[in-house]
Amino acid sequence: MKRIRYQQLSRQWLATTPARSATPSQVSRLSRPAPTALHCQRRCQSSTSITPDEVFSEAEVHDSPEESTNIHEVRSKPLLPSPHPDRALRSAKLAALHARLSLSSKIPRQVLARALVDPSADAHPKFNNANLAFVGASLLQYHTSEWLVTRYPRLPMSILFAAMKGYAGDPALHRIARAWGVEAAAAPGEEVDPGYLQFSHNNPTVKMHKWGYARAESKELNKYKWRRGMSSRIVLDDPFGNLVDEPEDIPQETDGLEVSDARNKKDLVVQNVDKNAHANFVRAVVGAIYLHCGSETAKTFIKSHVLSRQLDLSNLFNFSLPQRELTRLCARENFDPPVARLLSETGRLSRTPVYVVGIYSGYDKLGEAAGPSLDAAKSAAAINALKSWYLYSPGEVGLPSDTFAEDAAPWKPVYVDIGEIIS
Amino acid sequence: MTIRALEKVSVGQNGVGAFILQCRKMDIHYCDQSGSSRGMNAFIKSQLSKFASRNPQIEFAVSPRPRKHPVLIGHYINGKHKSICVKNMDSLQILKKAELLRDASGEKIKRVNKPITSINESVRSVWSPYHGNGMPV
Repeated sequence: MKRIRYQQLSRQWLATTPARSATPSQVSRLSRPAPTALHCQRRCQSSTSITPDEVFSEAEVHDSPEESTNIHEVRSKPLLPSPHPDRALRSAKLAALHARLSLSSKIPRQVLARALVDPSADAHPKFNNANLAFVGASLLQYHTSEWLVTRYPRLPMSILFAAMKGYAGDPALHRIARAWGVEAAAAPGEEVDPGYLQFSHNNPTVKMHKWGYARAESKELNKYKWRRGMSSRIVLDDPFGNLVDEPEDIPQETDGLEVSDARNKKDLVVQNVDKNAHANFVRAVVGAIYLHCGSETAKTFIKSHVLSRQLDLSNLFNFSLPQRELTRLCARENFDPPVARLLSETGRLSRTPVYVVGIYSGYDKLGEAAGPSLDAAKSAAAINALKSWYLYSPGEVGLPSDTFAEDAAPWKPVYVDIGEIIS
Repeated sequence: MTIRALEKVSVGQNGVGAFILQCRKMDIHYCDQSGSSRGMNAFIKSQLSKFASRNPQIEFAVSPRPRKHPVLIGHYINGKHKSICVKNMDSLQILKKAELLRDASGEKIKRVNKPITSINESVRSVWSPYHGNGMPV
């Protein structure tokens, strides 16, 4: 939908971050900085010299002596918020998950272990899956939207948003993660097996589909339920047509204050932590495949795990004025105006009559339906006619991303619809 | 804005697109002393490592269970588990049982008496009494 430059996004995964000394102890980890929107964190460094291996070797920073000089002097080594990356190689659960997803051996198990750590379990961006999930989310949204748009070029925008959500939204990705056999840990921590999904209900996490712009009037939109036009949703809102919340101004915490109420806000905690964490894991796996195996492999993975699922698009429509819309459609396309004709009926005087009504434009029958009354049958017939218009599909056509390959055939333009009937 | 969208979630079918092996974990319990575990001990010594390397999707856990019969327990993605007591079996029989657990889907065993089970809409659709020429009585 919106153009996504995921070449740039992948850089932030390799970008350097300051050393971990800012959050050394348990107490200061509780009061860590707020998870800002990810595009604010992006650092575009052209010299991507840090490889994932080096990132993981920096895990030793965890155990540096200066960490233990804090409040927890009695304890020699403070507990990490998430398992040490070295333990990933010894986890049978993680190896089984790696094999179950048929991941390439190019993807190290440490990366898969990192994909299982939600930002609510470990706030450090080098040890959680936020960056990977951001890359994966952009890829998932890109491939889903291009597949839907080329396959069903006449879908209205609201249906397209709903279909995007049905394929690549949080609920669908949550189900995919469950179908992969990912289990959640009871509570995150250092001692947990790295093969478990780790998230915490108490800590804030990162919502992944923060693409659009926060509208200036977003508070009023929420409070007074103002109407949002479809065109402004395309331009301003996120890929699923949902409102992007205004980033809250979180007051800076003073270091001396140990207990602060600043983070204790409802908005910072997502509604369904479990669903969000599972969905982020799927996104992070896609991101890891893209970074280690390339875009073609990531595309195949998305196709086989996300787009192969079944969603009946004809069940997504909810018409309010089908007959008026059909009349407008016929006028726009220079068809004869639609006429409803009674094809057959039975039991008009009984308790359960059935009428079969067909909608004709000239001599062409556009749609037909049966109903318990003449009006119901007529509007059902109009709905059938409209659905057969909207769900037109040119069949299997090439996708724009097919031309990314080196030896790809030149792009053949696909059918583009002129737009919605009544907007 | 005459069309509003309803929210639906896509439905996955294992094997369409990608296949995920449904057995995710296998527990293998044995006893060192009892005679009923003799075959199981031979299975663990000679065949388990090969079986495990052929099936990397499954997490294997071997643990002793003294003074009890040997058991194989398969844990499945849908949350269910199946256990098979393998007392007095030889190692090849146990291998067969392990393969049975590996290939199971974890679902309850159901009688299948329809040739096709599908979530797709029928191409021919349901017969309608209001269409066609009808039959004169």
